[in-house]
Amino acid sequence: MSATTLESRRASLPVGPGPAFHRVLNSEFIKFRTLLSTLILLGCTALVMVGFAALTAWGTGQFADAAAQDPEAAAAMAAQGGDLAVTVPTAGIAFAQLILGSLGVLLMSSEFTTGMARSTFAAVPKRIPAFLAKLIVVTVSSFALTAVSTYIAGLVALPILQNYDLKLDLASQQSIKLLLVNSIYVAAVAAIGMSLGTLLRNSAGGIMSLVGLFFVAPIAFQLIPGDFFEEARKYLPGNTILPLTAVEHVPDTLEAWQAGLVLGAWVVVPVVLAMLLLKKRDV
Amino acid sequence: MIEAQGLRKVYGEKTAVDGVSFTVQPGKVTGFLGPNGAGKSTTMRMIMGLDRPTAGSVTVNGVPFDRHQAPLREIGALLDAKAVHTGRTAYNHLLAMAATHSIPKKRIHEVIEMTGLGDVARKKVKGFSLGMGQRLGIAAALLGNPQTIILDEPVNGLDPEGVLWVRNLVKYLAAEGRTVFLSSHLMSEMALTADHLIVIGRGKIIADAPIGEIISGKGTARTRVRTDEPLRLMQLLAGDGVSVEAHDRELLEVTGLDPRGIARTALDNRVMVYELTPLQASLEEAYMELTKDEVEYHSHITTGPPVAATAPAGAAENQAAENQVPVKTGGDQA
Repeated sequence: MSATTLESRRASLPVGPGPAFHRVLNSEFIKFRTLLSTLILLGCTALVMVGFAALTAWGTGQFADAAAQDPEAAAAMAAQGGDLAVTVPTAGIAFAQLILGSLGVLLMSSEFTTGMARSTFAAVPKRIPAFLAKLIVVTVSSFALTAVSTYIAGLVALPILQNYDLKLDLASQQSIKLLLVNSIYVAAVAAIGMSLGTLLRNSAGGIMSLVGLFFVAPIAFQLIPGDFFEEARKYLPGNTILPLTAVEHVPDTLEAWQAGLVLGAWVVVPVVLAMLLLKKRDV
Repeated sequence: MIEAQGLRKVYGEKTAVDGVSFTVQPGKVTGFLGPNGAGKSTTMRMIMGLDRPTAGSVTVNGVPFDRHQAPLREIGALLDAKAVHTGRTAYNHLLAMAATHSIPKKRIHEVIEMTGLGDVARKKVKGFSLGMGQRLGIAAALLGNPQTIILDEPVNGLDPEGVLWVRNLVKYLAAEGRTVFLSSHLMSEMALTADHLIVIGRGKIIADAPIGEIISGKGTARTRVRTDEPLRLMQLLAGDGVSVEAHDRELLEVTGLDPRGIARTALDNRVMVYELTPLQASLEEAYMELTKDEVEYHSHITTGPPVAATAPAGAAENQAAENQVPVKTGGDQA
């Protein structure tokens, strides 16, 4: 190729397809599926969800058996709403949110710790499309994995529950609501994790912040005396899932619609902050 | 074509790049030479839009990098051999990069073949040697078949065969009419590869000229003379602007007079001369001369008299090695 042919090539812009959003999304999906560590974490999540559901089904059955012979236990069971079996498939959700939230942190922080970010943002210099594409990959995969794991967990729990004459209808309205709301919740946690990973650019720091927010803060707020912390505790992201999934309003929690808005804010604020800083900071 | 205008980058207290302006022309290899910490990598990251300039601007083919429709097809860069997630295979890394610009798989195989990564393409980058990492970085830079290629220290960690390969590759790319911008702190490498040289020291451009000019302009021409009457020839030659040093029993080094003048004097006075060798100042010496006031970490040798043109090559190299103290401040690893 001579200089003149190059000149003519230069004149006939554009030189070829550029980083349109669907291409960036495809690239981020390739990055997602080609890391063994990511696949292992996803597998672990599914395993934990199913395993916990099986254990909880067994535990619930034992409890129901005891209740049948003991009026006190029966009263305790009735106080819980009577329908214990419906929450069995999502019994492992606390672990799913921890693992997939950490995965959200890792997928972004590893870009910076490995130097991959230089390749990523050289290919997508506007940066925000790459962030959004990764956000979609992280949240959609977290949602899908949680939903599928919950369903499989339900299928595994069914025969165990039947053994104790407990009924679980996976197609019931409450079952479907629990599956969807919990999956959305886990996707939200993953989005918060990814924002933390973008802001801190550090795997350990990001995961510790996430654990602090979801596991340490609720306990700390409970221990610190004072009305402020009593009230503020309701607004922690980890405390929004109970009102969102409960059949009736649970005392000392937000209303379901309030919880939905609060969780939404917990996602939107870090995501927007992460995007602003990602655009502004040096890679 | 890369054009930088008053480009400046400040990290906290430290000014990494201090208002540099330069143009990198297509069709030749332009070397970017400077000691460690001089601001080479920072400048290159600013060209690629990864670091935001504190002041000034830089364009590639007249457009700032982030405004290009298809950046990878315009500019390919090797900024750091470690710009890869090490848990991924080389092929998958290139596949993910190519996907952003719909670059066909055929091209991925092409660059893998070109860079000699065929045997390890399906292996995780974790196990790669530094040289393999450099080859992968170069493969990624060539992926979009770009008009402009930026390579930051491409020969670092390469074996002699790899160094030769990079040298031929950049010359070939430039011969195709592409813009090739290549950084290094190794002067000897630049002497063999670059057509044009931009020398940077402490964030400022010290020289920007064709390589021949830098060698001949800054180093003084000397001539090695062997004669059996060194003392007599010394007296005859000594005069205005001419200095003669005796190195050995029959060996002189003459500065300030060309071989023809020396031969004329010797002939006129019937002094037998049995060697007359023009000594061109090496780029290494020219470089030391240029940057002696601009290196960030002075070694005790540089505080002495200017690097004498007579200093043995080994001494200059030791000195260069001592100047290569890693920079600890900020993110600049130039």
